[in-house]
Amino acid sequence: MIEVRDLYMRFGAVRALSGVSLSAVDGTITGLVGQNGAGKTTTLNIVSGLHEPNQGAVVLDGFSTTPQDRRSRIGALLDQKGLYSRLTARENVEYFGALRGFEGGELNRRTQHALATVGLESVAHRRTEGFSQGERMKVALARAIVHSPRHLLLDEPTNGLDVPSARGFKAALRRMRDDGVCVVVSSHMIEDLGTLCDSIVIIAGGRVVAQGSASDLCRQTQSATLEESFMVFNGLQGE
Amino acid sequence: MSACFTIAFKELRDHLRDTRSLLSAAMYALMGPVVILLVSQSPLVATGGDRLLLSMMSVFTLVSAFTGGMFVALDSTAGERERGSLVPLLLNPVSRMRLIVGKWIAVAVFALAGLALNLMAFTAIFEWRGVDPPTQLRLVFLLWIVAGLVPLTLFGAALDLLTGATSRTTKDGHTRLSLVMLVPMMVGMFLVFFPSWISRWWFAVPVVGQQALIGTGLRGETVPLWQAGTLALLTTATAFAALWAAARALTRDEIVVA
Repeated sequence: MIEVRDLYMRFGAVRALSGVSLSAVDGTITGLVGQNGAGKTTTLNIVSGLHEPNQGAVVLDGFSTTPQDRRSRIGALLDQKGLYSRLTARENVEYFGALRGFEGGELNRRTQHALATVGLESVAHRRTEGFSQGERMKVALARAIVHSPRHLLLDEPTNGLDVPSARGFKAALRRMRDDGVCVVVSSHMIEDLGTLCDSIVIIAGGRVVAQGSASDLCRQTQSATLEESFMVFNGLQGE
Repeated sequence: MSACFTIAFKELRDHLRDTRSLLSAAMYALMGPVVILLVSQSPLVATGGDRLLLSMMSVFTLVSAFTGGMFVALDSTAGERERGSLVPLLLNPVSRMRLIVGKWIAVAVFALAGLALNLMAFTAIFEWRGVDPPTQLRLVFLLWIVAGLVPLTLFGAALDLLTGATSRTTKDGHTRLSLVMLVPMMVGMFLVFFPSWISRWWFAVPVVGQQALIGTGLRGETVPLWQAGTLALLTTATAFAALWAAARALTRDEIVVA
């Protein structure tokens, strides 16, 4: 379980987060949604261990963590998803497995498992230059889960994917959710999140304004769709 | 330490497949020998120009210490940021210092290979032209390579990495590095033509020290071993300072997520 407690973050004069608190339960997919600049990416960057917040804490499975702890335990696919184009898909995944301390047969087994989870075995031996956007995204996901993390963060994972690739990607996330992984996904595509996520967190102006299932959020705002509900929570009804 | 070697091995494997960069680095290493080959054909140099050729060689070799690993350094720092692989890399539980040291090992391997290629090409040209330095001078050259050039190449690799780590793009990095390269070139040329400017403190300054060491030897003067050793130590220490600065750069938010 991931618990985010009262995060504050400032970049120079810009206040990115003003007390974000949320929780994501194991075996569920939690969606993070908000307008551009609302604080979704900053929140994910802090939870993944990339940044240290100015204030607040990230608790994993009941224990307070440092950024180093979180980098060890969490798998993250943030907004930068670049690959090494001269390496094969397998070598890309293997590299990250080795950086996490795996070697020999164990590294092989984990690499194979990660590639199988995202359905990339057939192209694993090919260099990633020339890969489609969907294949690139799958390699990046395999790289993020090579250590079999119990917590997985994804920032706009279906951006730029065609329909079949997006479906395949979401199916892979559901399989991980069913295996008990705590998955947190941020996206602009709110209706997409509605069908994928068990719980949705709406962030506005650097703080959480609502959290609940899609139907809960619609009921609270008396809206017919999640999109309308999002507009209401952002004070944009009627626009 | 194993994370450092994992990173170094990846960079070596990755960049050995980058044929264009390898060719470019080889061209830089061979540029000096080709120039000297052309100059050696001049009638003005044909008689008694051996020392001039050796002096000119020292400048080109000095510059080659900075160019051999240049492409690898830029691609593995500014290039990582440009293609969006830096953040995923930093999300691994590996400290920034280990990350930079791993990359430095790989850059240093390429840089030392460039230096070796440069020196082999010069040796071949001097052999062919019949330049035959006396034994005393051969020993000075050996000291210059071991105590001067090898540490300078390690420093050059670290400086290339620092420049790449603080550049937004590889293009920006290339611009900055082309300015950085001017330093050894200008210092080298200056000391070739104005050797009297070399004073006692030369061994304390990387680049100046290396050029001064070979310049002293070419004038037939003795190079004290302790001065050469001090130069080697100080140059290596400066390399580690540059690595520390590069690792620090990777902790800055504006550099990581720019």
